[in-house]
Amino acid sequence: MSRRLHVDWTRCDAHGLCAELLPELVELDDWGYPVVADGEVPEPLVGHARHAVRACPQLALLLRG
Amino acid sequence: MTNCPWVPRLLPDPGLAVDRLGLDDHLRVHGPVPSALRSGEHDVVGLADEVNLRGRGGAGFPFARKARGVRTGRDEHGGAPLVVANGSEGEPASRKDAELLRRAPHLVLDGLVLAAVAVGAREARLVVGDPAARRSAQAALHERRQHDRPWKLRGPRVRTTVVAVQDRFVAGESSAVVRASAGKPPVPAFSLTRTAAGGVNGRPTLVSNVETLAQLAVLARLGVSGYRSVGTTDEPGTTLLTVHLPGRSDVVEVALGTALTDVLGATGRPGAVLVGGYHGGWLAGRTAASTVLSRAGLDAVGWTLGAGVVVALPDSACPLVEAAPVVRFLADESAGQCGPCVHGLAAIASAVTALASGTAGTGDVAKLRRWAGLVAGRGACAHPDGVVRFVSSLLGAFPTEVALHQHHACGRLAHGLLPVQPGQALGETA
Repeated sequence: MSRRLHVDWTRCDAHGLCAELLPELVELDDWGYPVVADGEVPEPLVGHARHAVRACPQLALLLRG
Repeated sequence: MTNCPWVPRLLPDPGLAVDRLGLDDHLRVHGPVPSALRSGEHDVVGLADEVNLRGRGGAGFPFARKARGVRTGRDEHGGAPLVVANGSEGEPASRKDAELLRRAPHLVLDGLVLAAVAVGAREARLVVGDPAARRSAQAALHERRQHDRPWKLRGPRVRTTVVAVQDRFVAGESSAVVRASAGKPPVPAFSLTRTAAGGVNGRPTLVSNVETLAQLAVLARLGVSGYRSVGTTDEPGTTLLTVHLPGRSDVVEVALGTALTDVLGATGRPGAVLVGGYHGGWLAGRTAASTVLSRAGLDAVGWTLGAGVVVALPDSACPLVEAAPVVRFLADESAGQCGPCVHGLAAIASAVTALASGTAGTGDVAKLRRWAGLVAGRGACAHPDGVVRFVSSLLGAFPTEVALHQHHACGRLAHGLLPVQPGQALGETA
């Protein structure tokens, strides 16, 4: 099943944990907000992505099919 | 605006000395909505499909597809459907929705009822920013209740309430209008669910611009072939425009496919033209000369008609100097919810201001282009994307000015031709 990462921009506060935990798919912009790679999350990274979703202190990162 | 090729369908004929069509005038001019459409026996959505009726609030989404989405949302998720008429016109350069509500409110209400019948809604909200437009809409609802010939209006009862919103830029965004309709602050919301399936309080919600609804009301009367008698084959009908020319501003109604130069009239050669408003794109005068006002015509030059704002700057004005305060205004109008919008637009506004005043370096323009790429698509609403379109088109259309401004200011003073205050759009142009 294909999954994609979404950011709830109204919640995100630039803590940057997602970029620490999932550097393969998340970079930070000039102001510390995540730039998430487009498209499906590759299967081997789904576990890491779930971990990043759980770690977000603002609950701003979502993984949806 | 005597030169402009008016096609008065929605707005009263400029030749008639009528400012506002009350219910009697409305029925005299337009006649009642055919009863088979009022009852839902004939499906207005099919008609909308046949004339390719697109949303007139800016995004241009096909009305029929939206209505069918709400039907699907209702069938799959349940809940009582709701229609929200969006007359929240937060863009200071746009006045067409307020003019329409002020002068022809009953067409909007007819369209609202037709849309409600189409999706099976018994309830509707009319969200309006401008106070005069709001008074007109409220008066129109009152006129309908008092009317002595109710058979002309008979159809399913749709309980309609007028909701007042502040004239803020992002308050017109569809998710913000949905929030306003539910009594919440009118700021955009993040959602992975479509409004069609879960809008106001989770109910399937059809959000439609007031001009779109008025077009639906006109379509119901004219029928497909009558509606197609003006406009282009792919985009039949008319469109409302707010046109700003040096020294004057007006709301006009023209056929889709009208040449931009016909709308600009005999104002001399324009130096720069903004089409589609503050989320729209800039055209250099020579490109503007060959541009046609339709989705296809603007697509050909890379932009959209947006909510129908056209601004022509005189040759004596510098587009960078005129646009810089608008970019600052747009950055300030961010609802402040999304980081990339808050920080990115502020940075972009500062860079454009520096460029306009001749204090930017060569690196700043490269930075500006990079930031523009960074903020697009990263917000709960499309505000950052719209601002990026405005700024990128500015840099793209006027390369000579941009190159010059990297060394020094051009010396041209700001005319203040682009309004940045609500209500500044008509009458008091510098």
